[in-house]
Amino acid sequence: MFKRLISKRFANFSVGLSHSRDSVRHYPAPIKRFYRKTGILKSDGQFEVTLDQRKLKTPMGRVFSVDSEALALAVAAEWDAQKTVIVQSNMHLTGLCSTAIDNPNNLNKFDLVQKILGYIETDAILFQPSNEKDLMGLQENEWLPIIDWFNDRYTTKIQPTEDISPPQISQDDKDKIQRHLLSYNFAAVNGFAFAIESLKSVILTLCCVDRHISIEKAVTLSRLEEEYQTEYWGRVEWAHDLSQLDLQARVAAAVLFIHLNSSLHFIKSKQMAAA
Amino acid sequence: MSALSKKGVLLGLRSLISELRKSSPTGNMKESLIMRYIFEQYRKYKVTDEQLCKAQQEMNFLAQAYHCYLRSQREYEQLHSQYLSKGERTVKQTADMVGFKLPHDAK
Repeated sequence: MFKRLISKRFANFSVGLSHSRDSVRHYPAPIKRFYRKTGILKSDGQFEVTLDQRKLKTPMGRVFSVDSEALALAVAAEWDAQKTVIVQSNMHLTGLCSTAIDNPNNLNKFDLVQKILGYIETDAILFQPSNEKDLMGLQENEWLPIIDWFNDRYTTKIQPTEDISPPQISQDDKDKIQRHLLSYNFAAVNGFAFAIESLKSVILTLCCVDRHISIEKAVTLSRLEEEYQTEYWGRVEWAHDLSQLDLQARVAAAVLFIHLNSSLHFIKSKQMAAA
Repeated sequence: MSALSKKGVLLGLRSLISELRKSSPTGNMKESLIMRYIFEQYRKYKVTDEQLCKAQQEMNFLAQAYHCYLRSQREYEQLHSQYLSKGERTVKQTADMVGFKLPHDAK
C-alpha cells in the first residue's frame, strides 16, 4: 500500500516536471459541438436560431431573436461552421446580436451615439504628423480624399491636424453626424460602436457603411502606419497578418450587422414614367 | 461605386459560395439554408427594367462583406492554429522559428 502511494507520488512528480518543461498554459476547455444541424424559426415576425431542436439563447438567457431573416441565417451558418469545438470569441455576428439583445451595459441609443461622438476628435485618420516625410506623403495621398468625400457627403468641415493637438471639430459638425447616427435603430448603432472601436475611426466606418470604400480598403487605411513600417522592417505572419485578418472579420461583421438591421436593403421599385 | 458588370456579379457570387463551402463542416451545400437564401436574393435583384440598379449594388456590397467576413475568419483560424494554438513555445522552438541557434548547440 505504502509502496504504491510512493510510486504514485513519483509518477505525479514526473508528470508535473514534464509539464513545467514544456510550459503548457492551461485555458478552460472550449465547449464541444453538441448539435448536428442548425436552422432558423419564424415567430411573431422575428427570426430565431435553432441548434437541432433547441433554441439558441443569449449569454443572459434570453431567446436569441432578430428582425432580419438574412441575419438569422448568417448566425445559423456561423454556428454550423464550428467544426469540433465552439470558439465563441471568433463569432462576431453572434456576439453583436447578443449584445444588442442583452444590452449588458444598459445604454440607450442616445448614450451610444454620445460615446461615438467622443471618438471623432481622436479619429485615426485626422492625425498626420509631419516629422516623417514619406509617411506623411502616403497619408496625404490616401487619407485626404477620404476626408474630402466625407465632408462632401455630410456637409461638414473637418480638417486633419499635423501635430499632437487634436483637430477642432465644431458643434455644428457634431450635430450633423449625431443626427445621421440617430436615424439608425438601436441594434445598428451598436454595430457602429463596434466597428468604430475596431477601426479607431468614425470617418472610415461611415465611408465603409456608405459603400464608398470596401472593407479591406478601410482596414488598410486604418492600419496605414503599420503597413508603412512593415514595408521597411519586414512583415511577420503571426502578428501583422493575424491582426489584419482579425480586424477585417470584425469590421465585416459590423458592416453586415448595420446593413441587415436597417431597411436600406429593401427593394425599391422604379416609378412609372407616365406619372 | 460604378455600375456592375454581369461577370463581376457572377464572380462575386462564385467566390462567396466557395467560402461558404469551406466554412461548412460537411461541404455539402445542397441543404444549406443560407445558400438557398442567397440564390433567392440574386434572382430577385437581377437587373430588369422595373428595378433600379441601386438594390443590386447594395446586395453585391453585402455579398462582398460576407465573403470578406468568411475568408478573414478562415485565414485567421489557419494562422492561429499554425502558430498560436499550442500554448507557449520553449526557448529552442522560438529560436528555431526565427533562425537562431542556442549557445550550446552552436557548431
